[in-house]
Amino acid sequence: MLNIIKCEFGKLKRRKFLLLVVLSAFLFPVPLTVLMTRSLTSGEYDSKAEIFNEYFQFVMGYGIELLLPCVIGVFAAMLFFMERDSGTSKNLRAIPVTSTQMVLTKITVLFICGAVFSLTSALVSILCGEITAQVSGIPYRLLFAVEMGIFITAGTLPLIVLVVFFSRNYVFSVLMCVFYSVLSTIAESSFGALPKLLCWLMPIPLTTLWAAGDLTDHGFLNGASALEYLIPSTAQTAAILAATALISTILIDYMYKKRRNE
Amino acid sequence: MNDYIIETKNLTKQYGLQKSVSSLNIHVKRGRIYGLLGRNGAGKTTTMKMLLGLAAPTSGEVIIWGKPLKGNEKKLLPRIGSLIEAPGFYPNLTATENLRIFATLRGMADKHAVKDALDLVGLPYRDKKLFSQYSLGMKQRLAIALAVMHDPELLILDEPINGLDPIGIAEIRSFIRQLCDESGKTVLISSHILSEIALLADDIGIIDCGALLEEESFAELEQKSNRHIRFTVSDTAQAAKILESCFREKAFSIQDSHNLLLYSLDAPTGRIVTAFVENGLEVSQVHTCVESLEDYFKRVTGGEGIA
Repeated sequence: MLNIIKCEFGKLKRRKFLLLVVLSAFLFPVPLTVLMTRSLTSGEYDSKAEIFNEYFQFVMGYGIELLLPCVIGVFAAMLFFMERDSGTSKNLRAIPVTSTQMVLTKITVLFICGAVFSLTSALVSILCGEITAQVSGIPYRLLFAVEMGIFITAGTLPLIVLVVFFSRNYVFSVLMCVFYSVLSTIAESSFGALPKLLCWLMPIPLTTLWAAGDLTDHGFLNGASALEYLIPSTAQTAAILAATALISTILIDYMYKKRRNE
Repeated sequence: MNDYIIETKNLTKQYGLQKSVSSLNIHVKRGRIYGLLGRNGAGKTTTMKMLLGLAAPTSGEVIIWGKPLKGNEKKLLPRIGSLIEAPGFYPNLTATENLRIFATLRGMADKHAVKDALDLVGLPYRDKKLFSQYSLGMKQRLAIALAVMHDPELLILDEPINGLDPIGIAEIRSFIRQLCDESGKTVLISSHILSEIALLADDIGIIDCGALLEEESFAELEQKSNRHIRFTVSDTAQAAKILESCFREKAFSIQDSHNLLLYSLDAPTGRIVTAFVENGLEVSQVHTCVESLEDYFKRVTGGEGIA
């Protein structure tokens, strides 16, 4: 399995999209640093630490929750269509590498990329924060970023089911990803009006609620008290997202197998 | 226990209402080159896909090394090298990178395997050229390199000379022959090019509209092929009497009043002509006719040539 994962990364060599993914990890931290610098001089916040907390929350909120589903969606389209586009499926099956092995590998790669993307964003934020503000709790923030990356990736897998199901071009996949992110953002802005069950069944809003609770617990966020009744524990979040990921993986495997046999 | 490396039992593949392969029974012997000959769309590729588990048979069974393929893929497939349809590789990688990926997936320990495979087909090792920049011939060579890289005991090659130039065709032909003669590999090769099969195969299977029409060795084929001596004479009735009375030949047929075909190539042609002339017959032409593979193919398939 490790060999297949290694090969999956090898296949991505010279893919320009990867560079864009890396660059997109800087998309939110860099402009937000400029805003943070301005806030420092305007006197809106009591301390530099408070400014960074706010800034970190923005990066995780927009940079990860909004951008990562799009990145994962497009990345998944690239991974899952790669064999179809290059005609290498027959070579892999003749080895033999089974459909299930391929699907599990590709999903593992997505999880690794999700975690790395999130970690990179957090690292850039911390670096920018160290320059302009005051950063505390670095180990926690890095762990939090990895958890966020994994949770968001798991929450994006239902979207990947659709990407594989429609098996269309990349533009279609991008459109679906954007739609998914926007839908999640709308749900997040309506937390108070939505029933708890619905909030918990939507993977990205669920991750947002968990993130708010976790940051509050560690003293890096104030103001989640209004939504306290909605906040899930880490175990609850992990369980719901694991179930989502498992069902999505089974569906992706079924469809991928069907496509390969056609 | 028989010596068949590949055996199929009533192998059938149906897409919707159309039968692509129908009750196919092929037998590939150890250490031989088996040529599967058929027109485009005859069912050659579908058959090969089923032999590799790339397409599930609608009915029937594939037996390789005496074991059913279904359920034994993990044991059997690593011992097979294959090339099916167009060469499939990652366009953003070089030939070496592509082969390394497949070598890693096969868990190959030999670090020189990629270089050796590329050397065998005449492609440069660690060349910077990407697969997407390759010509069709180079792509085909790379696909052959992939098929032989892990030193398989059995090779299943679907139209391996597609896109190769004449020198490349000769090289690959000699390479395949060498694999069989010197390394004892068994090769199943498909083609719609009669001359290629004739030059390479030890055994031949003729497939048409999904059905196997003939399966035999080239030696058997030569014996079965239509060979005769054609005599063009002034009176075939009298010529027939001379053949029967003087030479005790009965294996002949009268085509018309001037043409007679004698099916025994061992017959003393010179003496027969002398006998005809001495009996007052005018002999204008004598030809020895040996049926070509194309004629045989036409006769077996009951239709036009292969092209």
